[in-house]
Amino acid sequence: MRPGAAVALLAALAAAALLAQHLAAVAVVALLLFAVCLRAPADRRRFYLVGTLVSAGALFVLTPFIETIGSHPIWTGPIVPVLGQIDITHEELTSAGVNALRLAAVGFAFAAYALLLDHDALLQAVRFARPAALATRMMPTLERDAAGFLEALRGRGVEVNGIRGRAVLLSPLLASALERGLNLAEAMEARGYGRAGRTSIPRPRWRVRDSIVVAVAAAIVAAGALWL
Amino acid sequence: MAVARADRLTFTYPDADTPALCDVSLELEPGEVVAVLGPSGSGKSTLLRAFAGLVPHFHGGRFEGRVEIAGLDTRSVRPSELAGTVASVFQDPEEQIVLSRVIREVAFGLENIGTASDEILVRAHEALAAVGSAHLADRAVAELSGGELQRVCLASAVALRPKLLLLDEPTSQLDPAAADAFLEHVVGLGIAVLVSDHRLQRILEHADRVLFLEAGRVRLDAAVPAAEDWLGQNRPIWLGGSGNGRAEPDRGESMCRLEGVRFAYSAGLPVVDGVDLELRRGEIVALGGANGTGKTTIAKLAAGLLKPDAGTAELRGRAAMLLQDPSRYCIRERADEEVAIGVRGDRRRALGALAALGLAGMESRHPRDLSTGERERLALASVLVIDPDVLVLDEPTRGVDPQRKAELAKLLRAGSEHRATLVVTHDEEFVRVVADRSITLGLEALLV
Repeated sequence: MRPGAAVALLAALAAAALLAQHLAAVAVVALLLFAVCLRAPADRRRFYLVGTLVSAGALFVLTPFIETIGSHPIWTGPIVPVLGQIDITHEELTSAGVNALRLAAVGFAFAAYALLLDHDALLQAVRFARPAALATRMMPTLERDAAGFLEALRGRGVEVNGIRGRAVLLSPLLASALERGLNLAEAMEARGYGRAGRTSIPRPRWRVRDSIVVAVAAAIVAAGALWL
Repeated sequence: MAVARADRLTFTYPDADTPALCDVSLELEPGEVVAVLGPSGSGKSTLLRAFAGLVPHFHGGRFEGRVEIAGLDTRSVRPSELAGTVASVFQDPEEQIVLSRVIREVAFGLENIGTASDEILVRAHEALAAVGSAHLADRAVAELSGGELQRVCLASAVALRPKLLLLDEPTSQLDPAAADAFLEHVVGLGIAVLVSDHRLQRILEHADRVLFLEAGRVRLDAAVPAAEDWLGQNRPIWLGGSGNGRAEPDRGESMCRLEGVRFAYSAGLPVVDGVDLELRRGEIVALGGANGTGKTTIAKLAAGLLKPDAGTAELRGRAAMLLQDPSRYCIRERADEEVAIGVRGDRRRALGALAALGLAGMESRHPRDLSTGERERLALASVLVIDPDVLVLDEPTRGVDPQRKAELAKLLRAGSEHRATLVVTHDEEFVRVVADRSITLGLEALLV
């Protein structure tokens, strides 16, 4: 399958998850995308999957306390100043589940894009997507940078624990990414990037199968909007 | 006719007080290999960037004089327009790789310069074969070792069939055999090459001419035999030391012992298996071996950063390890605060460590504002300040000039009786100067 067709399919699944209203339908899309992500090597997929699941879990936990919908309370809590009565209703739980699964589906779609697609071919096919594809390629580099900072600290006898401890690494990680970006830009210019008259290696032909995938992607979006 | 020419080139970076290059004149003939030597900060990288047109186009600054590449004035032609006539390989391969597959990475430059579509893959495969890396064509760049990445970068440059090849510390991550092979490939290309490298003996074997820079000025421009004479008389430290001059060290108690150690990073094959190593207080042990033999992994096991999957690793006292990449020591926003991390913010000790590494007066500087050489020393200060019982250093001489290397050896020897020291390095000259004992992975241990 051409990367362009694969991107269309992933984007369609994510869009369908956002458009669908039924919990079961969103769950099926999220599970399907999760299964796709499992094709990536375990050590690489862990970062993406854990990040997505933690974010979706947090959304599921917080939503019932923020939303105020429904008339079938499951639990009634104390009255909190400003927020009023804290309670959890059946409708709030359902809404939280749908929203969490939507977020998970979008996260898994991005993970599948980052982990499984041939970004080089995508760059070639969609020129305007070059910055996005380059940024995606920087993700593993950022992971390595973060691990390197932690290792350098451990090499000095300093253990970093918890989210708060790791938060101190955000600033050096950002600085590191900026520095790396500048160096990469310099190297790209030295290699002729931006020059007029660019050519490219011959592209693989667009096949009937790719057209079918794009048609299926469109159908998935329509189904998500109309029936799911 | 000269391929490249610099005529009275003077260049000052933006916000700098003094010029990085001062009145430099130089000509390169086709097929000539010129080694650019000089201390850290002497202007070697700036000179290479001037020949690539990156100075002044990418960096800005004040540019005087003239640089011509194949008759093109670099002031009026952008670096991207020079690509193909000139090709560069920078020091850190990770920071010049754009794409994720090797063959596409090599093809990237060819696409940019407008090579006919049906020729691109042919030339990319030829270039990979020319640097002995044809087998890497379909690999993902993320899977490659540092040495393999450097060869891919060279292939990317060679594929352009340039008239001038610029190499900035191209062998810094390669073991001696791989570095020799790399330079032989370069010389065999038959094009003009300007190469900067701190490992002098190796580079002199392959160069025709030597350019020695100091404070941005050319101190020497001579053929290799004359350059060796000049260095022997004026800069003898550049021609290497003659051993560490120490008697057999007084080996104390065992501080670190690895027995039958096995370690694998994931479910795959172990990186090291059945490794035995003992480090005693008072000795400096050098660990060498080819790329990919597990030197860094053993170093991390010795420092307690990794736990073995099998076998035993015993560590007595406090261990500290210096990683290869000095940019890992840029967490805080001041140099003294960075060094103080390992001693719970003890600023007095941090200042002492900075002074010992020649960084007095730079306490308030941001670590990222320091030069590469200064960053190397900051990283070392961050580790030495701990005064560890077991000190592990991974490639501490990468990018370090001979003068600094000699100072580092002196520093390590000065405190060595109080600790056990393990130095992982490809640098044979440094091993000869600093180590009491040398171990080459895969070969029988050898006493130096």
